[in-house]
Amino acid sequence: MNGGALAIDRARARLLDAAGLDDAAIARALGELAGGGADLADLYFEATSMRSWGLEGGRVTQGGFVMRQGVGARAAHRGQVSFAHSADIRESALLDTVRAVRTLERRGETGRHSGGIALDRRAGGHDLYPAVDPVAVEDATAWIAILKRIDEQARSHDPRVVRVDANVRATDTTVLVADADGLLAGDVRPMTILSMVVIAEHNGQRARGQAGLGRRAGLDGFDTAEIDAMVATATRMALNNLDAIPAPVGEMPIVLGPGYPGVLFHEAVGHGLEGDHHRKHLSAFDGKVGERIAAPGVTVIDDGGIPGRLGSLGIDDEGIAPDRTVLVEDGILTGLMQDRLNAGLMNARSTGNGRRQSYAHLPMPRMTNTFLANGTADPADIIASIDRGIYATEFDGGQVDIVTGRFNFTTIEAWLVEKGRLVAPICGATLIGVGHEALRHISMVGDDLELDSGMATCGKQGQSLHVSVGQPTLRIDRMMVGGQAG
Amino acid sequence: MTRLLSQTETELREAAQLAVELAGRRGARARASVHHEAIAKIAARGGEVETAERSGSQGLGLTVFHEGRRGSASTAGFDRAAVERVVAEAMLIAGHVQPDSDADMPAADALAFSGPAPVLYADSPRGPESLLDAATTMNRIAINIAESDDRLRAGESVAAATEGLWALATSDGFCRSAMRSNDMRWTVMLAHDEGGGTSDFCQSQERRVDGLSSAEQLAKTAADRARSALGARSLDSRRCPVLFEPRVAATLVGELAGALTGTAQHRRMSFLPDPVGRGVAAPHLDLHEDPFEPLGLASGGFDSEGIAGSSRAILRSGVVEGLFLSSFTARKLGMASTGNADGYYNLRLSSTAESGDWHEMLQMLGTGLVVTQFQGGKTDPASGNWTQAVRGLWVEDGHVVHAVADVTLAGTMAAMLNGIRAVGRDVERMGAIRTGSILIDDMRVGGRA
Repeated sequence: MNGGALAIDRARARLLDAAGLDDAAIARALGELAGGGADLADLYFEATSMRSWGLEGGRVTQGGFVMRQGVGARAAHRGQVSFAHSADIRESALLDTVRAVRTLERRGETGRHSGGIALDRRAGGHDLYPAVDPVAVEDATAWIAILKRIDEQARSHDPRVVRVDANVRATDTTVLVADADGLLAGDVRPMTILSMVVIAEHNGQRARGQAGLGRRAGLDGFDTAEIDAMVATATRMALNNLDAIPAPVGEMPIVLGPGYPGVLFHEAVGHGLEGDHHRKHLSAFDGKVGERIAAPGVTVIDDGGIPGRLGSLGIDDEGIAPDRTVLVEDGILTGLMQDRLNAGLMNARSTGNGRRQSYAHLPMPRMTNTFLANGTADPADIIASIDRGIYATEFDGGQVDIVTGRFNFTTIEAWLVEKGRLVAPICGATLIGVGHEALRHISMVGDDLELDSGMATCGKQGQSLHVSVGQPTLRIDRMMVGGQAG
Repeated sequence: MTRLLSQTETELREAAQLAVELAGRRGARARASVHHEAIAKIAARGGEVETAERSGSQGLGLTVFHEGRRGSASTAGFDRAAVERVVAEAMLIAGHVQPDSDADMPAADALAFSGPAPVLYADSPRGPESLLDAATTMNRIAINIAESDDRLRAGESVAAATEGLWALATSDGFCRSAMRSNDMRWTVMLAHDEGGGTSDFCQSQERRVDGLSSAEQLAKTAADRARSALGARSLDSRRCPVLFEPRVAATLVGELAGALTGTAQHRRMSFLPDPVGRGVAAPHLDLHEDPFEPLGLASGGFDSEGIAGSSRAILRSGVVEGLFLSSFTARKLGMASTGNADGYYNLRLSSTAESGDWHEMLQMLGTGLVVTQFQGGKTDPASGNWTQAVRGLWVEDGHVVHAVADVTLAGTMAAMLNGIRAVGRDVERMGAIRTGSILIDDMRVGGRA
């Protein structure tokens, strides 16, 4: 696919040529940016465009187009960060932005870079996704045809389906990173997301199902079998939820199905292993590297290099190729996710997890694709092992309190399990727990690892990013379930 | 005089009018909205500056109306080439969506060409130096408080200021603009004991600096909140009365208002279907909307269609008197726009029932759960089924016994609204919403057993 090698040329053309900038201008700006003696200084140029179409009740009711670009300038000195950005990237605006950073730094001229910074380092290429611009497909009929097919398929599935909303959104993000260590790196990050909501109605009851598919690809990156599976998932969820009974209340064993329920590890483990939370001693896992934090058999990995996934990056937003970081290995805490700033302050090295929502935001250690590795249990045996509990297959996001490790998730598709059998679907149950306790109560890990379908997003300090989460089917012996029953 | 902005109101109005004019040349009617916002933010930790940021955003959003069809596009750049591209993209979209007469522009006589424009901007010190002083001073106060109690540690203290401009132009000749300001302070406190760690914060947000809570008040409240959350434990599952602190009570008011929006109503995704004229909450409750409160955090002279809101009752004696409608959702429901295309303006929940300050509300609670934080959960908009993981305090005979965590609360919004026994006089403002603490007689608590 050659996403990396082409990317730098496209990034130059899209960002620099259009603004009349060249390497020499960037070198001068970096020299000024680092002039206060910064130990980390970088410029992040970004251009993003987005095209969307929406179908409601069989009619094309919405279309959208968005374009934006800009540059963020950052200088850090012993952990003190100064940052400014501009939506204008012509040289005069770039220099104004750099001067704004220097003013915020309140440091005199301590490091001289007369003539600027030599940009003599380049990032390597990658094969994770193609350097294509999915937004460039202006022919609306191609987008609308897919949405109409989704609508027709869902309606024909069952007469109780009364409404289908379907959306497609394609995004092109082109970035260029230049830093005071002489790095110039670029990436072209395509993204296309299909999503749908199904409303089913029967005997006066209304219920909702939802599903989606997201890829680092253009519209041609989806095959019809995948789209059909998405339609089947959303429709099944809506129909199941029509018959849902109130969720049970109390502490009980739970089984989490494969795929998106892996958000448990994103929330309960991943956020607590981000370098900034450790540097500031905020994480419930602070000081526990090398210690057992989970049951044997629990291995959690963050891997930004899985082809096509929305959490994958050829380079992170600091120009570094993401690692495959083993966070927990057979129950032992083994790794943290780092960006340059926090790695530098913790005498560690960046793991390529420096990510930012846009040029207007500061990078932080963020997850990419985070998942629980396969175990050996048969998923059917895991469900059969439950005397009374719940089996959850889809959640509507989740939250974690970093300091206490307390997390919660609310199900949008789940079943009551009795004597090893699924008894009935249940309405939204809220699962709550403390990360390190839940990890110790994992007793069975299945052999059916799946990543989510490409709809996962992650919020941290007001910045939202696309990620992937995943897991095989697993059993947790004790979890608090809150619902309406009892 | 503005401290942060780099563009003028005139420049924004001209950009909006240019977009409308270019759309007009292609035979379309149009509406253009342009915003420019500048932010300065300083975060301090350990007595020193940790991050210093100058940021902001800008954008031009255009909606064209052509032969019964609508298309929208937006750009962050206002130069002529960008505006021309946006017009072309919006026209392309309008060429493909299906016609919908309900999606047309509002009639010109519905627009607020003139009329009350609440003050949304106040001059205040907002330069980086002022914010640096504010953040480091607040952080030093927090550190001093933490030094007096070995269970406490000061987290970050943040001072942030925003100044913004907004202009709206339409092909009916409407062109108005507004300048806004916003000042924020918050401070975080961490608390540890043998049972583990916790954290909490306190924040203040106003449109002028001199309206903000003092640094001492913020640091002291954050410390009190963090300390009181130590030693938290779960409860046995039970039914009991629940008192929601004002900052969480505002979320409940927001859920009620959300169910009364035009979008929820016309999509039938509201737990209050066909609510106008119907009693949906306890009969001692009133909910009032005021778009025109000077320096109100959710004030505005007109919405993004150019239509003014009005000072009015949303709930009177528990009965719904009004919805929050745009021209589109109003047509779908056979009603008239209420000037709420961007959601609700300032809301105030009040009650004619017995009330009291915080301590009196604890007495009225008697034995039950105080909710101090929602940690996550879900409201099903269609059924009103509501569940939340919460943090709080267990109270017996009006006295706090211990902190509570690892419990869920569940109910239905309809039953909760009807079950409100009292609204406290401890009124706080959380963004658009003002409310005191809310006491609900009987809710389901899910705990360990």
